[in-house]
Amino acid sequence: MMLLSASLALSRHSFYRCLMPQVLNAPPISGLQSGKKAVVVIFETDCPTCQLALPYLNSLNQDSVQVIGLSQDDERSTREFADQLKISYPLGLDSGLKISRAYGPQNVPTFYMLDESGQITKTLVGFDKQGLNDLAAALGHPPIAPADDGAPAWKPGCSSRHLEPEAQGGADESGAKLLRRLGDPASRITLRNEEDPFEYCRRKFGDALPVVPPTVEKVDAMVRASGLAPETIIARVAPFYGEATVEKIAANAVMAGCAPEMMRVLMPLVRAACDERFNIHGVQATTHFAAPLVMINGPVRQELGFWSKQNVFSNVALANSSLGRAFQLVLLNIGGGRPDGIDMSTLGNPGKFSFCIAENEEENPWEPFHVTRGLKREQSAVSLFAAEPPRGVSEHTAPAAKTVLETISFALATVWSYRMCLMPEAIVVLCPEHVKTIHRDGFTKEQARQFLFENTGIPVRYYSKEERAEGMQLAANYKEITIRGEKYYQKFRSPEQIHIFVAGGTAGKFSAVLGSWATGTTGSQMVTYPIPDK
Amino acid sequence: MKEYKMVVIVHPGNESVPKAATPPARLASLKGKKIGLLDISKPGGNFFLDRLEEIFKTKYGAAEIVRTRKPTYSKNAPPQIIEQLRAMDAVVEGLAD
Repeated sequence: MMLLSASLALSRHSFYRCLMPQVLNAPPISGLQSGKKAVVVIFETDCPTCQLALPYLNSLNQDSVQVIGLSQDDERSTREFADQLKISYPLGLDSGLKISRAYGPQNVPTFYMLDESGQITKTLVGFDKQGLNDLAAALGHPPIAPADDGAPAWKPGCSSRHLEPEAQGGADESGAKLLRRLGDPASRITLRNEEDPFEYCRRKFGDALPVVPPTVEKVDAMVRASGLAPETIIARVAPFYGEATVEKIAANAVMAGCAPEMMRVLMPLVRAACDERFNIHGVQATTHFAAPLVMINGPVRQELGFWSKQNVFSNVALANSSLGRAFQLVLLNIGGGRPDGIDMSTLGNPGKFSFCIAENEEENPWEPFHVTRGLKREQSAVSLFAAEPPRGVSEHTAPAAKTVLETISFALATVWSYRMCLMPEAIVVLCPEHVKTIHRDGFTKEQARQFLFENTGIPVRYYSKEERAEGMQLAANYKEITIRGEKYYQKFRSPEQIHIFVAGGTAGKFSAVLGSWATGTTGSQMVTYPIPDK
Repeated sequence: MKEYKMVVIVHPGNESVPKAATPPARLASLKGKKIGLLDISKPGGNFFLDRLEEIFKTKYGAAEIVRTRKPTYSKNAPPQIIEQLRAMDAVVEGLAD
């Protein structure tokens, strides 16, 4: 990566003149040459959307188009950003946010496409695969953002640094510190000789059970396995927005009993939890039962020993138990979601000790879960869903797929609350024996999901205009359907609200249904992140 | 007393120190004041806030009641709502279910 000097003034006057005509004294964009098409992107180093979006521009052929990134952060953060994300085009610094203040993007990343004369021909805000491909097409390039690379099709950006309250003073040349990329080193606590370290750590940082003391040596080994600097901030964890540095995540991983290799999964998991779509703030503070359910797919299952068979929800494997526990300790110690404090769940969820399952892809006759979620089969992935505890569905008698699915639909009808329709989502964990029957009778995964959608409902006779009960007040919005000759309200809004995951032992016809918390953009949306290869 | 080998551990928690905010001075009276009523958009919030609005106006002589509503109870209030409430003399946040 070449870092351009901010004072290098190969500017293109028309760039900013056409952007904001009233700011002719705006500072020049370093490195921009005239007579060539250009893409200029203004970004922040700690903005997850910028981190996602900027590497896509590497694919643009820089012989025919100039690509320049303008960082709103300091040189150190920008160099790290470029190194970590392997940015191959020049980046410059917007020192003192002068350029940002002059041109005034509301959000980052903001991409400006310029023609040979420096006129802006296209502006793109946030991450948008279609928009990036349109931009590439306008430059005569093939698409640069493939649909199946695991990234969402669209992700909103962050507020531009110059609009943050801390930047309003304008004196800080190095940019605001509020959303810095490197945190402070974690303090070292020296225990008194008479202090039992296990007892101390349980009392101060435990999940009500003893934990492994996070000694400096053990945490260092964990940090080394991450391949990142210890102070690197991976995310800010709600509800207290504590900085989850690599070192702090590592300390919690040690406490939970993780092997150092687990950092490879824990870091994308913490990022996924802090993805605004997942809304961990709400999940951690709600009075509802929800706890984040961690679902693992792909080769990482064998590589790190994730268990997907009998007792998959239980205390069966170190990988599942320690990852799930480390994640909960991060939420507790860094995020501040204490179950005796701001986590106000009325009854709680036993999954708050550890809630991590892997898919039994070997017993799944269909595509694995992460493929349905848009990733490639050979990738490893972690998915997160704000889930109620599992409710069991026993069906040992039905010989045919339709009856098995019908039995499951009765459990699906009860999620959230029996009479509440449209809002909830659910995960159906199909056991190997059930999925075998369903597949044998010719159902694809999509057809099984469609069948569950069409056959899950609540009889209309359970609703009345005179009474008040949860779910009744919304009945005017519900869709009336006919099931088994009777009028029902359809439980789910679409088949996509039912997620099928195959797991469990090969003996026993027990599946499970897990309800959701509030869903969609006003609640929590499921997220799936790729886990980097070994 | 049992002695343990001296152990140094890495602090695994959030070490940032929250900045204490000073609460504004209490209002001596609501007479002539602008009061913001924030509905967090849980069902039933309006029953509580409707009644408060009535009491503030008729019994305490509030000059103006500004009603506002979060788009969803599950997330923080967006900045424009916070800005709107900043202009009030007092704010009541209605949590209901």
